[in-house]
Amino acid sequence: MSRMPTSPQPDRGWGLKAKLTASMLLVGVVPLVVGLGMAFWQGSREIREVSGESFEALATEAARKLDLLVAEEIAHTARIANDPTIIRELERRRDAPRDGSPKSPVAALTDLERRWAAGEPAAVKAIMDNPLSALLDEHYAGIHSAPGQLLPQVVRASTKMLLLTDVQGLLVAAMGEKPEFRHDRAPWWQGAFHKTVGRLYIEDVRFNQQVNAYVFTISVPVMDSLRYEVVGVLHRVIDAKEFFTPSTHVIRFGKTGHVMLIDSKGIVISCPFLPTGVSLSDRNLIPLVTPQQPGWAEAPSDGHGGQAASVIGFAPLPETSRATNGSSENGSWHTFVWQSSDELFAPVQHLFIWVTVFGTIAIALLAGLGFAAASRIVTPVQQLQQAAQAIARGELRTPIQIRTGDELEDLADEFNRMNQQLKAAFAGLTDEVKLKTREVQVLQQSTDHILDAVPTPILLIDADEVVRYINRATRESFTIQDEPPAPLSSILSLDPDAHTRLRQEFHADRNGSDSQAGANPVESPRDPLAPAANAGSHGNCSDLHIGTRVYHYQWFRLPARPGQHDSIGLVLRDTTDESRLQDQLVQAEKTDSLSLLTAGIGHELNNPLFGIVGLGEAIQEEPSLERVKVYARDIVAHGRRMATIIRDFTGVASREVSNQRLSVSLEDELDRALAAIEMAGITVTKCYAGNVQVLALPDQLRQALMNVITNAVQAMRGSGTLTLSTAQSDHTGTATIADSGPGISKQHLPKIFDPFFTTKGQGEGSGLGLTVARRIISKFGGDVRIESLEGRGTTCIVTLPSLAATAEGGTWTPSESRSEPQPSPLS
Amino acid sequence: MDSIRVSFRAAAIALVLVTSWGIASLPLAKTGPGADGIPAEKVADYVHAVLEADRTIYTTYIVNRMQEKGIVPAAEHWEQESALPLPAQFLQHSGRLVAESGNGIRYRLIGQWPIYQRNAPATDFERKALDTLRRQPERPVTGIVASGKKHYFQAIYSDRAVSSACVTCHNSHPLSPKQDFKLNEVIGGIAITIPLE
Repeated sequence: MSRMPTSPQPDRGWGLKAKLTASMLLVGVVPLVVGLGMAFWQGSREIREVSGESFEALATEAARKLDLLVAEEIAHTARIANDPTIIRELERRRDAPRDGSPKSPVAALTDLERRWAAGEPAAVKAIMDNPLSALLDEHYAGIHSAPGQLLPQVVRASTKMLLLTDVQGLLVAAMGEKPEFRHDRAPWWQGAFHKTVGRLYIEDVRFNQQVNAYVFTISVPVMDSLRYEVVGVLHRVIDAKEFFTPSTHVIRFGKTGHVMLIDSKGIVISCPFLPTGVSLSDRNLIPLVTPQQPGWAEAPSDGHGGQAASVIGFAPLPETSRATNGSSENGSWHTFVWQSSDELFAPVQHLFIWVTVFGTIAIALLAGLGFAAASRIVTPVQQLQQAAQAIARGELRTPIQIRTGDELEDLADEFNRMNQQLKAAFAGLTDEVKLKTREVQVLQQSTDHILDAVPTPILLIDADEVVRYINRATRESFTIQDEPPAPLSSILSLDPDAHTRLRQEFHADRNGSDSQAGANPVESPRDPLAPAANAGSHGNCSDLHIGTRVYHYQWFRLPARPGQHDSIGLVLRDTTDESRLQDQLVQAEKTDSLSLLTAGIGHELNNPLFGIVGLGEAIQEEPSLERVKVYARDIVAHGRRMATIIRDFTGVASREVSNQRLSVSLEDELDRALAAIEMAGITVTKCYAGNVQVLALPDQLRQALMNVITNAVQAMRGSGTLTLSTAQSDHTGTATIADSGPGISKQHLPKIFDPFFTTKGQGEGSGLGLTVARRIISKFGGDVRIESLEGRGTTCIVTLPSLAATAEGGTWTPSESRSEPQPSPLS
Repeated sequence: MDSIRVSFRAAAIALVLVTSWGIASLPLAKTGPGADGIPAEKVADYVHAVLEADRTIYTTYIVNRMQEKGIVPAAEHWEQESALPLPAQFLQHSGRLVAESGNGIRYRLIGQWPIYQRNAPATDFERKALDTLRRQPERPVTGIVASGKKHYFQAIYSDRAVSSACVTCHNSHPLSPKQDFKLNEVIGGIAITIPLE
């Protein structure tokens, strides 16, 4: 609470504001990034697909266009091949060996061939300028063509050679560059001748030395007039670049998008970028782009030397491919549409850049707005936090002012309400505490006053044997060297032995009380001023000699405040005077008893002694022997009485009887005892339970009962009611002797059994009756009790052990005379 | 679609073999008309019967059924489109195989209004024969023709639009010069050429 409200806690993680901002940023950024990423990915994919499909369509269209171009060229060539003049001439040449002309045509041909090879102008002229060659020129120039079938200028310029062979592959006519003479081994010738069946044969692009260019060739078989068999081959050599450039190079899109023509081996026939005749840079690309169906593909390279992933559209030239190298199995031509991936994906790149830019702006906005929003949320929360800390210190004076109009405002209102209630509660509590404090102070003062008023020295000692408090009596009783707090030894001047004993008792009491505290905590607080009735049994109460005085001391325990050790109190009581007084009292009582005893004995012995003396004097003067004998007998009687008194006094009354106890009837003994006593004027009421058997010696029991009854009768002084009753319990028989006499005063009651104590006058009683009775009854294991109320009479209860439970206790027969009380006046 | 191509090849080869057998069994090469052996007209009839039968089987039991069941159509560019060759193409390609076998006998489809000019009649004889056949399609037009010093027997049989596929194709093809053919109408002819040397 001592910490400043705004001080940041060093071990704390992110604050609420940072967390809120981060979570808002996260909530915004994650969907943004995911969304933009997905949009980018989907955009790229769609651009790829759209581009691929466009490229495929473009490739197909270009393929169709090029196919038509080639087909048209083939048609032109075929028209020449259908020229009847050429057919007739070739048929003639076919049939020539059968002419049977004198000059062997084979030999002539061989000669011509040799001369042609040698470049003899006449031979060259014989072929290049013969009518058929002229015819070819005418066809080529379009003289024989219909107006719509004229060769375009481009085609004408690109045709580098046009030659005609006969059925044996020998040159018949030629146009353009000077060709070889014999062609029967050339692939194109064999392909076009095709076992006399004839077949269109388009040769893949290759480098031609004579033309000094990459060329492709079209070979058309010349059929006979019946179209039955081949009679010659018309062969055309075309510069591929020149031929296709006008068609392919115009198809351009963007900076790099273009169409190219390749053959099935990946050799470029025409391309705006690559030279004709080179192979695609990536051989692995060739199978991908040369299937027999149009399509598009994503390739790992572009075929133009780049290694970037590319989208390539492709399509075969269907008609042309059917004739390339004889059939489409041997080769085919394909268009190849491609655009640089940099350019192709430029929109995607731009999209990506813009997406990144806008994404960054959005994130910055998110961060800014999130921070602002978090501040708006957190500021009232911080106010609330500070207010809560202020409330906790009880320092919040002004109410919290939060006007956000939402739950936070409600919370602030609740805080204000709570603060007011707390203030109210604290105010009440403070008053209460003041009141209680005053009460406690009053209580402490009154306790001090009480303790000071107590004339007994009282010391309070804490757990460290330091005296914390002493009352005024202590100050007055002892010369105090040090005011508390001070060690016990400096308060009380003790001899070492006493000091050691006190310390031991102190620790024993502490520990003992500690161990008892949990078991029986109610007993631990004791009233130090209570009579020390059980002090002796506790063993912590003893005498202490301090100086010349003797103190009776007692430990007591004071419950401590929570968290502190209990204090021990020491109460000292000055018993010096008391014990002295008691000693004097005992001495006085002893003297008193002795004088009483002496007086009693003297009194008891004096009577018979005077009788004996008187009788002795009478005997001296009595002449009659008869009377002397009577006097002597009386003297003997008096002597015996004296002996009896002495015997009673010494307590050896019935020594003659054996110690064997018998089961005797209590009622019988009561009756016998009653019979031996003079009962003048006394009404006797008997209330016997019937045959109460007790274990006793009959004579002594009778003696004891006689003593008790005599006492009762004497107490009634000749008038009253004596009530005798018996009762039987499990192990005891009880005789109750009640008189209606004046009772015994309270001060006499404790001394009733003391020897020689008597309330009777001199000579009336020895004061030994009840003493003897009690001694006898006690000897039998019984007990005598006297209960008396002054003015109401005295009841003596004699309890004796019985055999009732074992012997015949249960078989007594109720007698009519004993079952109910019946007064029996006795004289 | 390779299987189609293979089956087509097998059928074509079978046709070639049958035809070759028929031709080889006839000592025609050294016999002209009127000479001993089977007359060239008869040979042409035989060959034509086989051709007709083969093409009918191909049209009815292969192309029509395949198309009806939607398994594979027949198309002109059957190689690119993985389709079956048209019945006309079947005959032309088998004729090419026969020619390539070198047995001398050859046949081809010709027409007055061909989709491709290469199938137009090559000679006046063929042109006239087609005219005749349009009027009298029942019997073939036969004759001896010459190419240079070589002589051949040629028999030209009328060729009808035997199925609706023929009519549809000829009437809708962009290169077709006549587009009002009807079913069973004579579209062209089958020219069978047998060398007489």
